Parts: sequence; structure tokens; C-alpha cells
Amino acid sequence: MKTSTASGTTTSDLVPAGPPLHGPGHGTGSEGRRPRRGIRRHLPYSPWLFAAPGLLVVGAFSLYPFLSTLVNAFTDRRTLVPGEFVGLANFRELLDDEMFWIGLRNSSLYVLGVVPALVILPLLLAMLVQRQIPGITFFRSAFYTPVVASIVVVGLIWVWMLDDRGLVNSVLEAVGVGRVGFLSDQWLLLLSAMGVTVWKGLGYYMIIYLAALANVPRELHEAAAVDGAGPVRRFFTVTVPAVRSTMVLVGALSSVAAFKVFSEVYLMAGPSGGPAGEDTTLVMLVQRVGTGLSGRVGYASAISVVVFVVTVALMLLVLRADRKEDA
Amino acid sequence: MRINRRAVAAAAVIAVVLPLSACGGSEAGSSDASGKVAGKITFQTWNLQANFKDYFNGLIADFEKQHPGTDVKWVDRPAEGYADKISADAAGGTLPDVVNVSPDLVAPLAKAGLALDLDKAAPQYKKEYLPGAWDAHRVPGAEGTYAFPWYLNTGPLFYNKRLLKDAGLDPEKPPTTYDEVFDAGLTMARQSKGKVAALANVPTIEDFGRYGVPLMNEDGTAFSFNDPKGVELLTRYKELYDAKALDPQALTATPESSGHKFLTESVAMNPGSALDLANFKKQAPSLYKNIGITDQITSTGKANMYVMGVMVNARSKQKPAAVAFAHFVTDATRQMEFAKQVAIFPSTAGSLDDPYFTEEDGTDETRVRVAAAKSLKTAVNYTPVLFSEQMKTELRNAVARALQGKQSPEEALDNAVKACDRLLRQS
Repeated sequence: MKTSTASGTTTSDLVPAGPPLHGPGHGTGSEGRRPRRGIRRHLPYSPWLFAAPGLLVVGAFSLYPFLSTLVNAFTDRRTLVPGEFVGLANFRELLDDEMFWIGLRNSSLYVLGVVPALVILPLLLAMLVQRQIPGITFFRSAFYTPVVASIVVVGLIWVWMLDDRGLVNSVLEAVGVGRVGFLSDQWLLLLSAMGVTVWKGLGYYMIIYLAALANVPRELHEAAAVDGAGPVRRFFTVTVPAVRSTMVLVGALSSVAAFKVFSEVYLMAGPSGGPAGEDTTLVMLVQRVGTGLSGRVGYASAISVVVFVVTVALMLLVLRADRKEDA
Repeated sequence: MRINRRAVAAAAVIAVVLPLSACGGSEAGSSDASGKVAGKITFQTWNLQANFKDYFNGLIADFEKQHPGTDVKWVDRPAEGYADKISADAAGGTLPDVVNVSPDLVAPLAKAGLALDLDKAAPQYKKEYLPGAWDAHRVPGAEGTYAFPWYLNTGPLFYNKRLLKDAGLDPEKPPTTYDEVFDAGLTMARQSKGKVAALANVPTIEDFGRYGVPLMNEDGTAFSFNDPKGVELLTRYKELYDAKALDPQALTATPESSGHKFLTESVAMNPGSALDLANFKKQAPSLYKNIGITDQITSTGKANMYVMGVMVNARSKQKPAAVAFAHFVTDATRQMEFAKQVAIFPSTAGSLDDPYFTEEDGTDETRVRVAAAKSLKTAVNYTPVLFSEQMKTELRNAVARALQGKQSPEEALDNAVKACDRLLRQS
């Protein structure tokens, strides 16, 4: 049973979260009786007891691995050999590791290439499928299909399509353009992977925008139309300000996901990370150096720490930009 | 609520210190495998359950019948990520008692004291196997043999007769030396204006070995594939790449993807094994009609072979049963039975002299089988056991840099050797 306290908050009968419901001298019924001393002594701990299962799971599967990675980054631990403390040696080695800089470059390029597309294109798509016309549900579902498809299947399909002798190249050859090395040229490969990420993410962010667009008051559009604003002007003066916080959210989510990209590039560029490893991303590098029987767990952890710091910085940057706009 | 700061501090210390304590030391288990063959053991195979379930269930039943009191639990792991699964088990102390391994997987496990030294624990079985196969699981820098040799594999070079004919080459006279392969490749690329490539793979470490390049020094402490012969091989491959005689996607290809290119007849030659023949027949009947089979290309006179092994966990609690079972799986009778189910070759002494491996019946299958069995008598596993996955990537990237012209073949191989030596020191 829930009751309202004097402060207006809602609390359970047994949790003394606010002023006593019945102070001394107020009422004589059983409701007014104070909890027994033994129970009362344990009351402050009871929320933690309820939270304990959740905390255990979070501790074991999130906090512990995270702390473990942090510690490993300062050791020379390998898969089968427990590490010794080496201070900042792993981070110093990173500075001289050409592959680390290639990974950092590619992960950063991925953010720059993918995030603007994933902020803008799903919004346009959402506006398109927002209209209530017959059969629109089909299109909404169709656009969402790539989201539910397995990334491995998606990757393989695009590899077949973009192969030197695949569908896309056959069409290009038929129209006289000639074959394009989507999967053999370093930059085209990265661009192709970005295209797949955008294609797969469109539906997901479209759904988020659809929810945001549903909350934009129709009157604003009507008023703007009465004032003579055309569709483009209404988009910039009504729609964009109304969904700005959603755009920030999409920007933050997609930039973190883009910086940590693995599957698309791994599937399209192969385990070696494209020609001469030039398409390797940071997370691919973590997987390459940190796994297997000879894996350098300590060094891979140091790269993971860099990935963590950059993703946190990205989040803060996007959120700070949003706060500045608000001010 | 007030939180006990000391409790929080203790929890933080445990969280920080615990990872360091994980994995334990690399203390080796005892090599003593004498005693009663009894108890429950786990046997792990590498992607064999789908096709050989009945064979292994029968084998396990036979062993349990021969050794009352034993109980073998069979687990099979997918091919993808097999090394990662073993490393997770090894690090977590849950490595099965008997494990299907390849020599490059054995090396780090032996170094960590997790693979049983069979020279000490089971020397009586050594004479049952081909000497080269028994030595395949030795690790440079360590004494001992760390796995029973199991099945061997090698294979011919498959080629597409139609594509050779279209290029004006004689399909009945396929290339037999590296020079002939390169020359045929350049001709095919020229005739087809770059549309048909001869090969779909960049050279791997075993290609360098078959070309006659010394791969490591005798002590196994440094790599040497950057010698002039290695540079020569890479220079020839660059000629192929520039002429489009090497598939444009070779730089990112995997053995599976290049096999697919051969299946779809966009590449003329592909090294394979006796296993592939049935695959061609089933998946690409039009290719099968044009399939040509010739000996593996080698400059050393010795073909490359792949070796599979069965390792015993040095920390197994049922070592006598584990050793007995590993030997049972790999003994001459069982290997012969297995070889008759699938196109592999036994590593036991004398097995390759069986008429099954010496007499042809006129079919392509027996022709490949007999030729492969003959070549196995002198074949070599060219991949050094200390050559890890990361080293393979280093070599692959160096080869790609040379083929793209970003570095000279000499510079690329020097860098690859430097990187592999560094990884060797860190392993």
C-alpha cells in the first residue's frame, strides 16, 4: 500500500522516507505503532538488500571487467601469463605503434563520416513516413528491417554486392563506368563500411525521431504556414528546434557507436583490416592484439582505455554543445 | 544511509587486485601418467560433430568398453574462434582433459605448462607414429613433444582447364614450377585483359617455405624469411599483382573467399586438398567438368602438410585415462577408420602403405588420394609452430604494402621480420 507523505512524495508503509505518518499521541490504532526496535535497526539497509542482486550482476559483469581492464593496462599481462606492473610502458608503446595511429584515424573518420548522416537522414526519413497515408506501415516496417537483421548477415550481403564481380560492379560495368574496387581500395572500403553502418542505423534512429515528431504541436506548423512559411522554412524554424534535443541524443549515441565500430569493417575488410591493415579501427586492434593464446592482454587493455577516454570525451562534447545552445 | 568506507575501500582493493591474481602461475603439472585408467574425462574436438557424430560416439563407446570405469564427455567447438575458446579455457583453468589442437596452438600451451610432455609421460607410443609427425608438436626452446599426432593433410594444385585454354595455354600441361605459375599467370592476365586472375591469395608463410626460403634460425629464436629468396618471391608476386594476374581482392582475401573465387571460375588456380574434390562436385558441377589436378608447387621437392594433434592437459585430474584416450583416438586402427570416412591421412607408421593409399581405381578421388599419400612421406609442415596469428597478420600486411608499392619487397620483409621477432620475444 502506498501513502502520500506531508512533503507530497509517495512512500511505502514500511519505509520511513519522510516525516512519521503518525507521531506520538496521534491516533492509537495499529497503524500508528512504531516498528519494533530490531526491524527499525535494519530499515536503512533494506533498500540495499533489494538492490543487491542487481548490484551483484552489475559488479560482476560491468564494474569488475572495467576495473580489470584498467589494471591490466598497466601490466604486461598475456593470455596465459599473469602480468607484472609496467607503469605507463603500454601507453608509451602506443605512441610509437603505427597501427594504433591508423586505428585512431579510422575510428575518428568513422565518427566524422557516419554521425552527420545518422543525425540528418533518419529525421528526413521519419518526416516522410510520419504522414498518415494508406500503406505507410509497410514502409515504416521496411525501413526498420535492416535494424533487426543480423550484422553478420548484413555484412556478408554487402560484401557479395560490392565484390569485384558483385551486383553493384556488374551494374557499373553494364552502364560503362567500369569496375570499382569497393573492397580492395583502402578508402573506398572504409566508405563502403560507413555506408553499411548508415544503412543499418537509419531505421533505428528513424523510430526515435518518429516519437519526437509526434510531440511537435501541429499548431506551430499551422501558424508558420499562415505566416507564409514554406516546407523548407517550416522544417528549419519549427521541426528542427522542436526535435533538437533528440538530434543531440542521436548524435551522442551514434558517435559513441561509430567510434567503437568493429563488425562492419571486420566483415568487409577481413581480419587483417583491409589492404595492409589500413582500414583497422581501434576496436579491431584490441581484438587482434588481445585475443588468442599469444594475446597481449595488457597492451590491448591500454588501447581499450584510450577508446574509453575518447568515447567519454565525445559524449561530454556533444552534451556540452547542447547545454551551450540551451543557454 | 551511511556506507562503511572501509568496506568500500576493501571492495575496491579486491576488485583491483583480483584481476592480477587471475590466471595463476604457469606451473607445469606432473608428467606422471601412470596409474589406473579410470574416471571422467572431457574430449574437445574442432568442428567435427556435424559430420562425424557417429564415428566419435562409436569410438568413445569402444574406449569405455575397453576401460570399464571411464566416462568420456565429448564436446565439439566451432571452427570460428577455436583458438579464442581454448585461450579462454586455458586462462580460466577449464581446459578439457584431451584437446584437438594444431602445432601453433600447442606451442603457447606447452610454454604455459598446460600441455603434457608425451616424451616423458607416454614415450612407449612414439614408435607407432611417423617420425616427422611425432616431431610436429615439438616446441623450439623447450624439450619434449606436446601432442599425439593425429591426421595429416596435404593437397594438389587445382586448376581450371577452360580458363587455361581460353588464355592459349595447354590445359594438359599445367605449371609445375613457381616460374611456370608466374609465367602462366601473366599470360592469362594479358589474354583476358585483366579479367581472369591466376591466383587469389597473397603468399603466406608456408608459400615462403615451399619456395625454399629459410623461415627461422636453427634455435627458433629469430625469423629469417627476409633473405634474398624471400625478396625474390615477393618481387615475382608484385609483378603478378601489377599485371592483374593476382585477384584485386587478394590483399583482403581469406582462404574461404579465394576458394569461392575459384568455385565461381574467376580465378584459374587454387591450392587445395583431397577434401575439396567432393565440394567441387557438389557445389560447382560446371567447374568440376573442367577441373585439372596437378602436384603441389614446391621448389624444395617437399610438399606442405598440415598436422592435427591431440593434446593432454598437463593439469588433468585423470591423466592416465586422458593419455590412454588420446592414444586410442590417434592409434593406427582408429586413424585408418577415420581416413576412410573423410579425405585425410593417418600419421601412424606404415598406414600410408595400405592399398587404400597406394592403389588407384581410375577415379579422380583415388588419384588425388594416392598422390597426396605419396607426397606425405616426405612432406614438411612449413608453418613454424611459434608463428602466431598476430605474426601472420604482420606478414600479410607487409606483403600487401609491397604489392601496393608502398614499400620495396626487401623493406617490407625486413619490417615484418622485425615485428615478428618482437612478438616472439613478448610471447
